[in-house]
Amino acid sequence: MLQPNQPTNPSRSEPAARGKLHPLVEWQFDRSWFDELQARLNRNGPWDNWQLYQLAVEAEQAKQVTSFDELRCLRCLPTLEPMPHQLSTASKVLHEMGGRAILADEVGLGKTIEAGLVLKEYMVRGLVKRALILVPASLVLQWVRELNQKFGISAVAQKKEHTWQYDVVVASMDTAKREPHREKLLAQDYDMLIIDEAHKLKNKKTTNYQFVNQMSKKYCLLLTATPVQNDLDELYNLITLLKPGQLGGQSEFAANFVVDKRLPKNEDQLQEALSGVMIRNRRGDGGIHFTKRIVRNIPLALSPEEKALYDGVTAFVKERVVETIADMASMLSLVTLQREVCSSRDAVFVTLVNLFKKTAEDSPLRAKIWGLVENIRAITSNTKAEKAMELIREIDDKVIIFTEYRATQEYLLNYFRDNGLYAVPYRGGMNRGKKDWMMDLFRGRAQVLIATEAGGEGINLQFCHHMINFDLPWNPMRVEQRIGRVHRLGQQHDVRIYNLCTLGTIEEHIVSLLHEKINLFELVIGELDHILERFEKQELTIEQQIARLVAEAGDSSELQRRISGLGDSLNRIRTEVQSDSTLEEEDALGNLLDAVGQTISMEASQ
Amino acid sequence: MNERQVHRYVQRFLDAMDCTVLEKSPAHFKVKLSPAADRALTNRPYYWSFVDRTGAEPETMSMLLVTDRTKFDAAEAAAEAQKQAQQQQPKPNSDDPLSSAAEAALARSFGFVHGEVNAIRMPREELHFGSRRLDQLFDASQAGGSYVYLFQEPERKHLLPYDSTPYTAWLGVNMKVEFASDRKREELYSFGVSLASGQCVERFHDRLLDLKMTPKLPPNVHITKNGLSLGKALSTIEQTIERKLKNQDYSWAAQARERLDEELARIRNYYEPLIAAAIVENIPAITEQYEKRQAEIRWQYEPRVTATAINCGIFHLAGID
Repeated sequence: MLQPNQPTNPSRSEPAARGKLHPLVEWQFDRSWFDELQARLNRNGPWDNWQLYQLAVEAEQAKQVTSFDELRCLRCLPTLEPMPHQLSTASKVLHEMGGRAILADEVGLGKTIEAGLVLKEYMVRGLVKRALILVPASLVLQWVRELNQKFGISAVAQKKEHTWQYDVVVASMDTAKREPHREKLLAQDYDMLIIDEAHKLKNKKTTNYQFVNQMSKKYCLLLTATPVQNDLDELYNLITLLKPGQLGGQSEFAANFVVDKRLPKNEDQLQEALSGVMIRNRRGDGGIHFTKRIVRNIPLALSPEEKALYDGVTAFVKERVVETIADMASMLSLVTLQREVCSSRDAVFVTLVNLFKKTAEDSPLRAKIWGLVENIRAITSNTKAEKAMELIREIDDKVIIFTEYRATQEYLLNYFRDNGLYAVPYRGGMNRGKKDWMMDLFRGRAQVLIATEAGGEGINLQFCHHMINFDLPWNPMRVEQRIGRVHRLGQQHDVRIYNLCTLGTIEEHIVSLLHEKINLFELVIGELDHILERFEKQELTIEQQIARLVAEAGDSSELQRRISGLGDSLNRIRTEVQSDSTLEEEDALGNLLDAVGQTISMEASQ
Repeated sequence: MNERQVHRYVQRFLDAMDCTVLEKSPAHFKVKLSPAADRALTNRPYYWSFVDRTGAEPETMSMLLVTDRTKFDAAEAAAEAQKQAQQQQPKPNSDDPLSSAAEAALARSFGFVHGEVNAIRMPREELHFGSRRLDQLFDASQAGGSYVYLFQEPERKHLLPYDSTPYTAWLGVNMKVEFASDRKREELYSFGVSLASGQCVERFHDRLLDLKMTPKLPPNVHITKNGLSLGKALSTIEQTIERKLKNQDYSWAAQARERLDEELARIRNYYEPLIAAAIVENIPAITEQYEKRQAEIRWQYEPRVTATAINCGIFHLAGID
């Protein structure tokens, strides 16, 4: 009988007595119950149960929101144990920011939990009924699952047209902004709008931005770990979306706060304005207590057949580099051949066949390529796969294997199946339902997950703490991403990382560069970003630079020397980064953001 | 609500809905739902419309309702351990030729019956405060306990057969008052108005809880003539609650209004120059956006107090008041 307070928007409610209780306060007394009572009296019933009548009152007493300030939702979530910074963030959003905020925590500190807490609190208080959550497509199901399982919120993933009518819907931004959905959503009033990965709204001119700007919303949360990357305007746009005028008009903002697009002025004032809408929690420098990473390199000698193939391919690559005045792109693809041999014959086979098809029929190259394919035929076993198998048996626990190549993934799946190991694949091309299904299998019966993709935020594998790098990407960021899948908040165990490394190949050099030289595996999370950003400022990406070294180096010892040189320059940058992280000029943007938030030590979470 | 309170609530709900409790402990209930409870809780509208249309005998669901998870799981684990311990010990009479013959005989007549397959499917439901299932119970209580028409049961037997006790009809209502801006709190009120005299009583529900109520008119009772229309009673309640609320502290509202004004000023500073500088064609679009933002801010911050009824009824109580 409580009005199912459909719109919490007071302007549209039932006929009722209205007036003022206080010069500032609208008063409304609902009378619909009285009409119904009279109707039942006239019809002489039906009358309800006295026991249930009492229980209904008790239910309301239990649910009664007694004060403005406390976090009531915690009573409803006995199994959720939010961390202190998540609680303080939620209550700041609720009590100081009026429910409109940018949650800009660094990656891995639990923005989703904070947003969930805020949403749940408003729902428990009856201030939010209809909520829309817009996220990248790959995260839709994860959000739905978290809201349902962790927060007991009946959220639904948008699939069909009619899904929009549910109270809490999670949808991908790309779907939502398209017709016919767009029109429907713009006609709605949402009590709450949450947008994950909100840095995609930085540009005012995009349809994303305009769509969100046009939506009608009461409370609004924007979640992003990188509220500003290159340009202060990005920050301005994001905040204007949330609270127009918080930083003044565009020209005012430019005049008051901007020296250069990366250099703010009047920082104190700007920080104050920011802190009214943005919360950013950072990991404390000394305070992180993630579990340890234990790295083991597993050197392998190739079998004579494999070695023959590797040498054949290497010779082929060298020749080609000399013959063609190779541009960067073809150099990369040539070197890829070498990397593929180190992974599996299947991987290199696919590439060779493609190369064969692309070469002109009369080209002498064809014969050479065919010769290599003949080499492949001679190989009967895969040294790495055998070693991996042995390792998995030894580990006797959940293991995730990463490889760069689809063909290797297929090969391993077959190989493991033939040997009675239950493994499931995971790759970027899978649709979201299938990805989710694979995750569930891995969580359940499968012992091994074989993944070709580590990116795509959203695979959280804290329940697994063994990972095998079947082959290594040359981009250190990608390696870090891989590790980040398992080594994140919530991981209870030390994470063991195994790098399979074939001796006498480029792989050996890469492992030594990443592991020994820049000590990638033990870098503080986030540090790598800075190092690479500077390194790549020069010209080429690190991947390209390595490829060039590999292609141009005369022999193995020269290659080793040059890679070692690359490692040295990375290390130099690292020391620079560390020493100037205090230097203001360079990192003015970072400092600005940092000042808005708090640094937290994670000890409590362990 | 703590576990014990939830447990008591569930017990009383099941009683009120005529469900059959199959097994219970302080931490759980195993229950076969009554048709009414099944309709309210299992979300099977198609099944029930099938039953309604065909007149088939309804088969209601059974549920395991866990009100204290920690205790229940501990008890289950203990039972499991005990069972295993028993299994490990050789059964004392398994060698007994008689009993094994009896078992074989039973198997011949009934076939092999797998205990687990045969058991009734019993989904497990967690009923902690805030769980969806408990909320559903709350909603079902509300749905089945909104409007009542009750009489007080006389306390003692009448001595004379023709003696008659006078009863007065009351309009009773439980109300929830919400004080909301961008934040919110609530108060609960209960009012009763005598339809004989028009007097208004607060905490009326508590008074009812002390009495025994029945839906049937008890013998030897007569109802005093109403001196007051229901409509008049309603306005009495409205006036009373307004008077009470007017004396409250409204500093929260003043603060909310302050925030509201700040926010409005903030967007005014943004949009007014924007409109002034815009080319003519763009002005309507910007103005529309400006108005939308204003509406959102009012929606978010405007202080308001609303009273809605939880439930209500007509109560006939002994005495002339």
